[in-house]
Amino acid sequence: MEKILLRNIDIQDSHTLQVYESRGGYRALRKALKEMTPERVTEEVKASGLRGRGGAGFPTGMKWSFVPKDSLKPKYLICNADESEPGTFKDRLLIEKDPHAMVEGVILASYAIQSHTAFIYIRGELAFGAKVLERAIAEAYQAGYLGKNISGSGYDLELILHRGAGAYICGEETGLLSSLEGGRGWPKVKPPFPATHGLFGCPTIVNNVETLAVVPWIIDQGAARYAAIGTEKSKGTKLFCVSGHIRNPGVYEVEMGYPFRQFLEEDCGGVPGGKKLKGVIPGGASMPVLRADEIEGVRMDYESMQAAGTLLGSGGVIVMDDSTCMVKTAWNIARFFAHESCGQCSPCREGCHWMEKIFARIDNGSGEKADLDLILNISGNIIGRTICPFGDAAAMPAAAFIKKYRDEFEEHIRQKRCVLT
Amino acid sequence: MALEFSPETWRRFEELVGRYPKKEAALIPVLSMAQKEFGHLRLQAMEYVAKIIELPAARVYSVVSFYTMLNMKPVGKYHIQVCRTLPCALMGAERMAARLKRKLGIQVGETTSDGNFTLTEVECLASCGTAPMMQVNEDYYENLTEAKVDDVLESLK
Amino acid sequence: MDPVKLTIDGREVVTTKGKKVIQAAADAGIVIPYYCYHPKLSIAGNCRMCLVEIEKMPRLQIACNTDVSEGMVVLTQSPKVVEARKSVMEFLLVNHPLDCPICDQSGECWLQDYYMQHDLQGSRFEERKEHDRKREIFGPYVVFDGERCIKCTRCVRFLQEVTRTGELEVLNRGDHSTITRFPGRTLDNPLSVNVVDICPVGALTDRDFRFKVRVWYLKKTPSVCPGCSTGCNISVETYQNRIARFKPRVNEEVNSHWLCDEGRYCFHALTEVERLTSPLIRQEGGLVPTDWETALWAALTGLGKADPLAGVLSGRNTNEEAFLFGKVIAKLSAQPALEVFYQERELTETEKVLKSPDRSPNFQGARDMGVSTNGGFDLLLRELIEGKFRGAYIVGEDLVSLPGNGEKIRQALEKLSFLVVQDTELTSTAKLAHVVLPATNFAEKEGTYTNRKGRVQKLNAALVPPVGALHDWQIFARLLPDVGEKISSHTPAEIFQEISRQIPRYGGLSYATIGELGIQLSDETKQL
Ligand SMILES: Cc1cc2nc3c(=O)[nH]c(=O)nc-3n(C[C@H](O)[C@H](O)[C@H](O)COP(=O)(O)O)c2cc1C
Ligand code: SF4
Ligand code: SF4
Ligand code: SF4
Ligand code: FES
Ligand code: FES
Repeated sequence: MEKILLRNIDIQDSHTLQVYESRGGYRALRKALKEMTPERVTEEVKASGLRGRGGAGFPTGMKWSFVPKDSLKPKYLICNADESEPGTFKDRLLIEKDPHAMVEGVILASYAIQSHTAFIYIRGELAFGAKVLERAIAEAYQAGYLGKNISGSGYDLELILHRGAGAYICGEETGLLSSLEGGRGWPKVKPPFPATHGLFGCPTIVNNVETLAVVPWIIDQGAARYAAIGTEKSKGTKLFCVSGHIRNPGVYEVEMGYPFRQFLEEDCGGVPGGKKLKGVIPGGASMPVLRADEIEGVRMDYESMQAAGTLLGSGGVIVMDDSTCMVKTAWNIARFFAHESCGQCSPCREGCHWMEKIFARIDNGSGEKADLDLILNISGNIIGRTICPFGDAAAMPAAAFIKKYRDEFEEHIRQKRCVLT
Repeated sequence: MALEFSPETWRRFEELVGRYPKKEAALIPVLSMAQKEFGHLRLQAMEYVAKIIELPAARVYSVVSFYTMLNMKPVGKYHIQVCRTLPCALMGAERMAARLKRKLGIQVGETTSDGNFTLTEVECLASCGTAPMMQVNEDYYENLTEAKVDDVLESLK
Repeated sequence: MDPVKLTIDGREVVTTKGKKVIQAAADAGIVIPYYCYHPKLSIAGNCRMCLVEIEKMPRLQIACNTDVSEGMVVLTQSPKVVEARKSVMEFLLVNHPLDCPICDQSGECWLQDYYMQHDLQGSRFEERKEHDRKREIFGPYVVFDGERCIKCTRCVRFLQEVTRTGELEVLNRGDHSTITRFPGRTLDNPLSVNVVDICPVGALTDRDFRFKVRVWYLKKTPSVCPGCSTGCNISVETYQNRIARFKPRVNEEVNSHWLCDEGRYCFHALTEVERLTSPLIRQEGGLVPTDWETALWAALTGLGKADPLAGVLSGRNTNEEAFLFGKVIAKLSAQPALEVFYQERELTETEKVLKSPDRSPNFQGARDMGVSTNGGFDLLLRELIEGKFRGAYIVGEDLVSLPGNGEKIRQALEKLSFLVVQDTELTSTAKLAHVVLPATNFAEKEGTYTNRKGRVQKLNAALVPPVGALHDWQIFARLLPDVGEKISSHTPAEIFQEISRQIPRYGGLSYATIGELGIQLSDETKQL
């Protein structure tokens, strides 16, 4: 398979403008500015079938076309580099190793929606990534790819690198907007949607790093080439981050539709230490876990994952071997969400902590059998009733762990301790 | 004594604020600047930021309390942040935290009496493929083992 | 405005485009429970209490943020909705102390109300409750109980959007979220206590009212604030013939949902005084009690001989009183100098949201009634100080205690040949009088005020006046026959009928047409 997203990362000094340009970098931008109208760029991305890599998989070109063309307000493009979904570390790799790809993607997307101010919102903890990006942006300004009259096209763009300060919810696009407005990262009620009422009430597009980083390739190579890769509805390649009990953890670029079991066992080397696979979370901690027996036939694309009862999410694949206590694991995830709930809406604010407390109690041996149904019930009372999808993200995995490993939970409750040790 | 940015920081502050569509959008970066300059965000620091960015002090206080990287209390010279989220937990994060606690003689959330080390547990830092990991100030230390933790502490002393 | 037809709970509802489902339902008399929604604040959508089912939408939607659309079918009582609401209630009570028996909000708490309605069983929450601050003093009038707070952010939004002072914010995140001030600062803007009114639970309470009386014992009388000429609509809430508090009554033409703090508490100074219960007359050695007949006769004869005569009416007197006062003075003096009390002061930006620069709620009405013949109150006061008058009839204003030239006024009043003061208490001004007539306060009488913008509004008697005092209008009505003016009206309503016949601006009005929300006079507001 031809590498698209990871094509540059193994090259020495891949983060520099010189290396990036020597490998065809900014060719797409020059082409777009010279030969393509903004609408053409959007059309091309639409035709490629690219879907957002931030988790929700929304068609990127279609999203861009929601920006009102006749709006008198400024328009904003924001690159979501908040990567905080547990198990996800692909954007960090792109930021550190191929920053110019995302910068070029940002410029192309901004041009497509005719934004003159763009932001990269990078999570505060990524200090090194911020330094690399800062340098890349400075290089791009110097080379005339940013600023006034880019490459003589008459198009202007300012790009601001904005560092967050530690809050998972700022990855949610409207939480990000609130944060970028100088506030708490509180998600906003929708409607209205960011494409029409985003940053400071102005039309705004938020895209993930990986989404934007692939745009230059699409413009350079043409939508048809991209659309030829992957499945009917899931086009192209996607980055998967593999962590946990796996022989070769890391970031992999995979053609959409690739068999999941083969990926885990062959590409990633399988579960090490003579242990067996017990479960795997395929799309970051907010997605439902799959039992080992459930991954048969599952393919790595949006549709197949959904059919298997989970979601592709961010591509954070967390592998658990058979020594893993699922009670502790479920509690660990519940604790993460309780810690990260922004606290704005009642079901999530109260429900996440409630679930966390029950999981903790079960884990330390004071659980009761009724607790399991109580958690399922609380989870059901959160799903679909919150301001932002964080509620679902917290409730779905909690329910999945209990449903899929119920015997182990019951045994843990009965014996008042972990049954694996 | 009233807190104030140094002339150099003030210059950076003005430049930064000038780039944003609205002044208040720069609040979080400005708070980070203030934290760097003043050590931690005590009340006077928040009041100062509120004044220069023209927002009610309560708003600034509220924002600071929302973000884990903004500290209202002093932290040690080395802020050790050990990741506790699932991928790291699967790979032994708990043991790393235990090692750190023992070596430093403090609990999570505490600072050593010499003011050198503060130990915190944090959530996933996007380094799960090289778990377990910790961040010391701005640097990542990955693929930790207990021996590696010892080495890192030794190198910081 | 484009009409939109939708169906709510099987009922066809016609509303206008741009409305939210929650408003359309409320207009049609269908109550969707809510906490965070407030018609005057931005939409937060955080409580999730107003979830409803909307046909063709897989998920429940919040009614407070859903625009109505043609043909929309809304269910507010379906099993799915009822179940969701119950669960939201359960979440809200997870960390709540359930201390209704000792909560000041008890009886007007929306949490308690809905809890009862939804017939919740015992809590399934067996974990440790998160504790929060109890009884934190937020400001001079407002106290906070963190454990009762449901984080609806109404208080926060009010202070951001209405007063723009931003004293309160949410602190921390997750279930540690709480409401806070900046440490060391207080919630003391001039409209601060509105946060108590809009707090749907017992988290923010009124320090002035706390534990005075259980709310279900309160008697509520609709009336008008006597604090200034904005004329905010209030409910005067009383217990055992004392005012326990003012609460705002919603009137979008006047005060919307708000009151200012000064107005809210002005009843203390106006009603909690040592009352005069008998007329007083000056004899050697000082003022001594006398009967009404003697006092009124002495007042009339004394004033009749003291031309040029100044008449000062309080800005808190009603239109009915102003109307009669004008007639009394006209009979006593050929060229009476007649003014209603009116002084202005600087207002801050926040005060300007609601307040008027005066403290004369009915100066406009009094002037309409003719109590303004001397080029304004300031001029009259100057002339008084300059010694232009020989007699004065001062109603309801303690001029001697005015800041600034109080001492000069005292000297001027002492030089008068005759002074009548009519008031509820023995003020410093009254102490100088030859005759003192005991009157009643705004809360004891019926009548009308005309606010600064020319809106006539109704005052109703919330308290029973002390025996021995008479309403100002009663006193004037008793004086009129003695000065030779026939009068056939014996109640405020009848006097108002007379006003509507004699004062063109008030033509055709009656207490019935004024109603509970008042009525705007048709011509332009008079220039001040
Ligand atoms: C709780 C939560 C956290 C999220 N975190 C991230 C994130 O860290 N990075 C990201 O790109 N998208 C994240 N998203 C998705 C964003 O809301 C948004 O859909 C995405 O940035 C859009 O970009 P895309 O269309 O390119 O995928 C998160 C969503 C939720 C609900
Ligand atoms: S669902 Fe959770 S994270 Fe999202 S707005 Fe509500 S409380 Fe905040
Ligand atoms: S104090 Fe009252 S108004 Fe303010 S957030 Fe809490 S419950 Fe809402
Ligand atoms: S603004 Fe005037 S009328 Fe309204 S409450 Fe205040 S004092 Fe009373
Ligand atoms: S879980 Fe520790 S870095 Fe991701
Ligand atoms: S009233 Fe609609 S969510 Fe609170």
